[in-house]
Amino acid sequence: MEQIFTLAFLTSFLSAAVSTAIPLAYASMGEIYSEKAGILNIGLEANMLAGAFCSFAVAYTSGSLWMGLLGGIVGGLAVCMLHAFISVRLAQNQTICGIALNIFLLGISSYFLKILVSNNPAFPQVATFPKLAIPGLSAIPLIGEALFNQNILVYILYLLIGMSQVLLKHTQWGNSLTAVGEHPRAADTVGIRVYRTQYLAAAINGMLGGMSGAYMVLAQLGVFTENMTAGRGYIALAVVIFGRREPIRAALAALLFGAAECMQFRMQALGIDLPAQFMNMLPYLITMIALLGSIGKQRDPESLGKPYIRDAR
Amino acid sequence: MRKYTVQVARALVYTGLTLAVATLLILGAGASPLQCAGVFIRGIFGSLNGFAEVLVKAAPLMLAGLGISIGFRSGFFNIGAEGQMYMGAIAATVVAMWPVQMPSWIHVTLAMAAAFLAGGLWAFIPGILKAKFGISEIINTLMLNYIAFDLTGILIRGVLQDSTDYLPQSPALGPELAGILAPTRLHAGFLLALLMVLIVWWLMEHTPTGFELQVVGSNKRAARCLGINVMKSIVIASCLGGGLAGIAGAGELLGIQHRLLEGLVGGSGYTAILVALLGRNNPWGVLAASIGFAALQVGANTMQRQMGIPAAIVSILTGFIVILLLCDALILKLIEKRKVEGAA
Repeated sequence: MEQIFTLAFLTSFLSAAVSTAIPLAYASMGEIYSEKAGILNIGLEANMLAGAFCSFAVAYTSGSLWMGLLGGIVGGLAVCMLHAFISVRLAQNQTICGIALNIFLLGISSYFLKILVSNNPAFPQVATFPKLAIPGLSAIPLIGEALFNQNILVYILYLLIGMSQVLLKHTQWGNSLTAVGEHPRAADTVGIRVYRTQYLAAAINGMLGGMSGAYMVLAQLGVFTENMTAGRGYIALAVVIFGRREPIRAALAALLFGAAECMQFRMQALGIDLPAQFMNMLPYLITMIALLGSIGKQRDPESLGKPYIRDAR
Repeated sequence: MRKYTVQVARALVYTGLTLAVATLLILGAGASPLQCAGVFIRGIFGSLNGFAEVLVKAAPLMLAGLGISIGFRSGFFNIGAEGQMYMGAIAATVVAMWPVQMPSWIHVTLAMAAAFLAGGLWAFIPGILKAKFGISEIINTLMLNYIAFDLTGILIRGVLQDSTDYLPQSPALGPELAGILAPTRLHAGFLLALLMVLIVWWLMEHTPTGFELQVVGSNKRAARCLGINVMKSIVIASCLGGGLAGIAGAGELLGIQHRLLEGLVGGSGYTAILVALLGRNNPWGVLAASIGFAALQVGANTMQRQMGIPAAIVSILTGFIVILLLCDALILKLIEKRKVEGAA
């Protein structure tokens, strides 16, 4: 048991945890923008599936990883804008719309995959983004390998986390976004364009969700498989709650949940006799406990999930 | 008269668009739409078995959909039917495995009652959290779905596992919901679902409790002014909804699978949300919508077997129809606009 906790074990474990956490972090980063603006998007799973499938299809046909990434971003964006149109413009139930989109995307991506596969004798595959070690930093013991010997999409995410933290917490635009999510009528009265802000937040959510799916294809697996996100969109929702809708906190929450997922595969090596499902369950349990712990302290944006109807009194 | 034409135009738009999408999907898979339509219809009406299969698949959607509709009408947004179904199935398994001699029908009744309780208790958690602390039930019910699913996984690899082999499943259960249309798989669970449609309709439309639930759902402040205990209403709505979903899960267990397995519910808890929406949260609407969705599944399965059309077409059309429904206002507007132009 003791010998297993070597530096080598921990290093590889951390590496795997970071890698698992990246899609969660991308998707939850987008959802933070959306929820801050008052749109609860349960359709993250659909965003990610669209991103994964489009990135795969584009990368496969064009042979370019960057085109694939762009395809994934556009795919996620398209799904999210449909959700935004239905929830903002048509003022419909956001949760129902998200669930319908999840089911729709699950179907349509499997359908197109079948067609793509049936036209190919070999299962189509794409290359993945190579690892880029950052000189110096990647040599730090324990965390260097995990954090700084990753692919380019991981480094882009680091930038995005930092930018989001500043943008949401320390800029006028971040304040406007929060105002729209808290009290859209008041925001409207002081001249903030509520609908435009919400659409913009949804667009960011869509692009980041698309990148999350694209990461799974273009950096992790190199293939698209049916229902490959397997509920990660829902875990990302939990990450947002556990991270209290703050980018850095959410990134850390994603890391924690990623570590829990990686732990499953290593428990047997560690001689821990717990069913894998127990580790699976952990993120959801933690999130519920976090929600309980937040009683009286943190709360949801006041208008989260409620459509703003401008002409209503 | 004018309103009537709009209704017809709207129905035409819905049917037309859905058929158009289905046609495209079938063409894309390289098959003939007409031939597929024949297979689809024969799959449903062509044999007693196909027809019974529709009712078999409708039963869990109907029960869970009813539960969800109670919640929606009372302002409790339950997306946790999936988990409540698993909890119901777990409780029913425990009771069914109980090695006590008793008439089979009593044993089954006890198992179903336990399922109702377990599903209800599982929904009680988000219910009380919402009623007492105002914590959003959406995230909580979602989390509880996964927790229930993983709990099922743990139990069928542990205390509930069939000790005679290594598969992650419970032993074959003795007590079962009796078949009602041999040799098909149709079982008494379907009759129970029909009975629940009646009960829920009576409860919501003809009892003070139902009235209170609906007032709470439409306006909490008004409910408080009327002296209705809002907290109690939310808890009642959540527990009833969870209980019905619990029965749905137990029905699948004791009527179809006869073993607790990981794929027992397989997403029907989410489809049931769409059933409730499509049925406009009305018990009779839920009855119709659940049979409609089930027919879609059975027809599409036949298309897959005989024509090689991917079964994913079910999810695509399900999602598409609901998205159309959400765009209803837009569709109506377009119809109205055309009419005005036509008149001018």
